[in-house]
Amino acid sequence: MKRRDFLKQTSFASGMFFVPQFLKAFEQQLPKTFSHKKVVIIQLKGGNDGLNTVVPFGNDLYHQQRKNIALKESDVLKISDEVGLHKSLKSLQNLYNKGFVSIINNVGYPNPNLSHFRSTDIWQTASDSNEYLQNGWVGRYLDVTKSSSVKAIEVDESLSLLLKGKTQNGLAVTDSKTLFNSLREPFFKNVIHHNSDAHLSEHNLGYLYNTLIDAKSSSKYIFEKTKTKSASNNYPKNLFGKQLKTISQFINSGLETQVYYAGLTGFDTHANQPNTQARLLQTYAESMEVFVEDLQKNNNFEDVLILTFSEFGRRVKQNESQGTDHGTANNVFVIGKNLKKQGLYNNLPNLGDLDANGNLKYEIDFREIYATILDKWLQVDDKAILNKSFSKLSFV
Amino acid sequence: MKSTHIQHLYNRIGFGITPKEITRLSKKNKQDIVDEIFSTSEKITPLKIDTSFLEDVKPKDLKDRDKKRELQKINRKKVNDFSVAWFERILNPKEIFREKMTLFWANHFVCESRNNIRFIENYNNVLRENAFGNFGDFTKKVSKESAMLGYLNNKQNRKKSPNENFARELMELFTLGQGNYTETDIKESARAFTGYNHNFYGKFVMKNKHHDENEKTFFGKTGNFSGDDIIDIILEEKQCARFISEKIYTYFVNENINKKHIEEMVSVFYKDYNIEKLMRFILLSNWFYENVNIGTKIKSPLEFLAGIHTIVPFNFERPKQILLIQKLLGQVLMRPPNVAGWQIGKNWIDSNTMVRRLRLPSILLNSAEITYSDTGDEETMVSDLKSKKLKRKAFIKTKVDWNSFEKNYKTTSNKELISLLLTNKILPGTRELLLENSNIPKKDFCIQLMSIPEYQLC
Repeated sequence: MKRRDFLKQTSFASGMFFVPQFLKAFEQQLPKTFSHKKVVIIQLKGGNDGLNTVVPFGNDLYHQQRKNIALKESDVLKISDEVGLHKSLKSLQNLYNKGFVSIINNVGYPNPNLSHFRSTDIWQTASDSNEYLQNGWVGRYLDVTKSSSVKAIEVDESLSLLLKGKTQNGLAVTDSKTLFNSLREPFFKNVIHHNSDAHLSEHNLGYLYNTLIDAKSSSKYIFEKTKTKSASNNYPKNLFGKQLKTISQFINSGLETQVYYAGLTGFDTHANQPNTQARLLQTYAESMEVFVEDLQKNNNFEDVLILTFSEFGRRVKQNESQGTDHGTANNVFVIGKNLKKQGLYNNLPNLGDLDANGNLKYEIDFREIYATILDKWLQVDDKAILNKSFSKLSFV
Repeated sequence: MKSTHIQHLYNRIGFGITPKEITRLSKKNKQDIVDEIFSTSEKITPLKIDTSFLEDVKPKDLKDRDKKRELQKINRKKVNDFSVAWFERILNPKEIFREKMTLFWANHFVCESRNNIRFIENYNNVLRENAFGNFGDFTKKVSKESAMLGYLNNKQNRKKSPNENFARELMELFTLGQGNYTETDIKESARAFTGYNHNFYGKFVMKNKHHDENEKTFFGKTGNFSGDDIIDIILEEKQCARFISEKIYTYFVNENINKKHIEEMVSVFYKDYNIEKLMRFILLSNWFYENVNIGTKIKSPLEFLAGIHTIVPFNFERPKQILLIQKLLGQVLMRPPNVAGWQIGKNWIDSNTMVRRLRLPSILLNSAEITYSDTGDEETMVSDLKSKKLKRKAFIKTKVDWNSFEKNYKTTSNKELISLLLTNKILPGTRELLLENSNIPKKDFCIQLMSIPEYQLC
C-alpha cells in the first residue's frame, strides 16, 4: 500500500478521538498579550572578548596585558577620548550615533563559573552560580503569563534551555513554511489523539505527545500569519543574517511572539583571536543594522528591544597563542529606539582591580537587566519569573 | 530470560534485536546472556578508511600554501567519509556492545578535528580500544592524543603562559563534574600538562623546555607532578567514580538517578576503575530490569536510526544524505555541538526534531520527501552563502531490504509486531487507532508503528 493510501485509510479514524480541550481553545484564540512590546535576545556564543569589542584604547594597562592583540587608537571607531568600538563594528556605530545603543559594562554574577556550558546555563536560566535550574527565564515567562509556545521563538533547528519552562516550552522555528508543511499531513492529525490531556504529565511519553500537539497548532498559526509578509533583502548572506531576517518577518507580520532568540557562534578564541573576532563582529553588526532599518520601515522599531550578551568575557591578559582564556564580567548591548540612557550606560571596567584569577570584577548582575526588561518593558512580575527580587536599571 | 527483558537489554547495549535472536536467547539465563554479550564484544576491530593520500605528505608540504589548502580539502572530505563509515559500522556492528560503548565514550571524552583525518581516526579507535578497559589508563591516553591536544589547546599550554582549557575540561567534564575542584586546582594542574605536544604524524611528544618542572599543589598534595600524576590524584577522589557511574547510569539505565544504585556502582568501580566490571555489574543487577527502567528512555537520533535498521535493513544510496539526516535529527557523528557533547533525553526532542522523527520511517522506507532549512555550524555561519539556497528539499534515496523484514517477521501477526517493536505501553487512543488498522499489510503496519511517539522510547 502506498503511504498516501495509508493516510487516507487512517484519517477516518481521527473522528473517534477528540482533540483535547486546551488544544481547541488554543486554535480558536490566542491568549491576550499583556504588552505589545517585544524582546530580541542575541547570544554571542563562545564568550566574546568584550575588551576588544568596546576597547579602552586609552588605558595603558590594556596595552600592557595584551601585547599582540590590543587594538591601537587607529584601529578603533572612537566613541570618546578613551573608548572605541572594534573597527569591524562600523554598522553598529551607525546605530550608536543615532542614539539607538546603550552599552552596559561590567555585567556578570557572583562566583562566576568559567565553563561555557554552565555559564550559558546560568545566563539562560538566571540561576545563581551554585544553583541548577532545569528551565530558562523565558520559559518561566511563558509559565507565569500562561502563554502559549508561540510567545517565544528561537530561530534555530533546536530549542535552548532559555525557552524551556516548567509547564510550557517556546518554539524552535527556522522558517514558518518548513515546519507547517511537514505537519500538514493528515497523518499527524491521527497521531495527535489520546483520551485526555491528564495523561500528558512529566514523563517522557507525555512530553513527546505534548511537543507534537504544540508544534502542530503553532506552526499553523505562524504560517498563516506570516505567509504574505516579506523582509528586506539587504541582510548579509549568512546564517546569522538569515535568522534576523526571519525574526523581522515574524515581527513585521504582527505575530503575537514577544521574545525571540538567535545566536552567532564561534567566539571561543583561545588561539589566533584577532581575525576570527573581527570577522564575527562584522557579521553581527551588519545584520543588526539591516534588522533595525527593516523594523523602522515597518514602524515596529519602537516596540522592539534588542539585547546582546555573551556567556562571559575573556581574561584581561592575553595568552601565548594570540588568544584569550575564559574570563568573567562583560559588556552587554541594548538596542532600541527610545532608550532612557544612550551611549555608555556606566563606567568601563577597572583594569587595575582584578580578582585573584586576573579577571574583571562585575558591577551589575545580569539579572538586573532581565528584571528591568520584564518589569519595565514587558510589564510582568519579574520576581515571579526570576524567583528573586533584583534592583532595576534605567536603560528603558 | 523473559523476552521483554532480553529486548530491554539489547535496546540498551545495542540497537534492538530480531525475533529470531529473542527466541534463541530466551532459553538462556541472565548470566549466560551477559557473558555472551561480553565475549561477542571482546574483539577490537579498528575503524579505518583509506588515508593513503597522507603517505607521502611531509611537514614541509604544509609550508606551500596551495598544497596546504588542497590537503585541508581532502582531510575534510575524509573526515566526512570516516563519519559515514562509523555510521555504517553502527548499523552493522559485529561487536555490538563495544560499538555502543564507543558511542558513549565519544560523548564523554568529546573531541573534534575537522582538518586531520589521521588524528581523528586514531582518536576514534582509542575510544573503541579502551571502551571496556581501565578508566585511568583511558584518560591518560586521551590526554596524549593529538586530536585532543589540538581540540582543547593543550599543545599551546606552555610553562611561560599556561593554557587552562584542557585542565578545566578534564575535571569538569571528563572526571569529577562541576563544583568538585577549585580554580587553583585548575591552574596547578594546567602547569602539570605543560609541554604536551605531538609530532606531524600525531604521535605524542613531550616538549621538555615548555614543561613546568616546579612544584605544584593539587588536591592538597605537593610535588613536581606530571599530567599522568594529576590523573592519578583525581582517581583517588571517590567523586570521580561517582561522576562516571552517574553518567553511565543516565545513559544506559535511566536519566533519573537512583542514589542507592549509584552507590552500589561506585563501590564496584572505585576499586580499580575497571569499566567492564562496572558494566557487568549493571547488566547483572536486578534493578536494571525493573519496569521503571524499561521503555522509558528517549532514543538518541543514532539509536533511533540504528533501531529502525535492525527491524528493516536499509542503505543510503548517497552517503552525503547520511550526514543530512543526522543533522536534521540533531546528532552528526564527528561533529559534537561542543566539548560537553550532546545533552540527552528530552533535550533530543523539540517541535522540529519530533516532527522529523515521526516522518522518518516513511522517508527512509517509503521514499517520502523531506523539507528542511539549513542551519549553521561555525563554519557555514560566517561564510558567504550567496550562491546556495538556504532552504532545500530532498528525497532521501535508500535501498530497503524488505525481504529480510518479511523473512524475520514471517510468523508474526501485526498485533504481535507491536510488542516486538515496543517495550513500553501505548497510549490507549493510539493503540485503538493502530488496532483499527491492523488488517493492513505488515510492511505498512510496521512503518505506522514506527511513526508514533511511543517508538521514540526504548
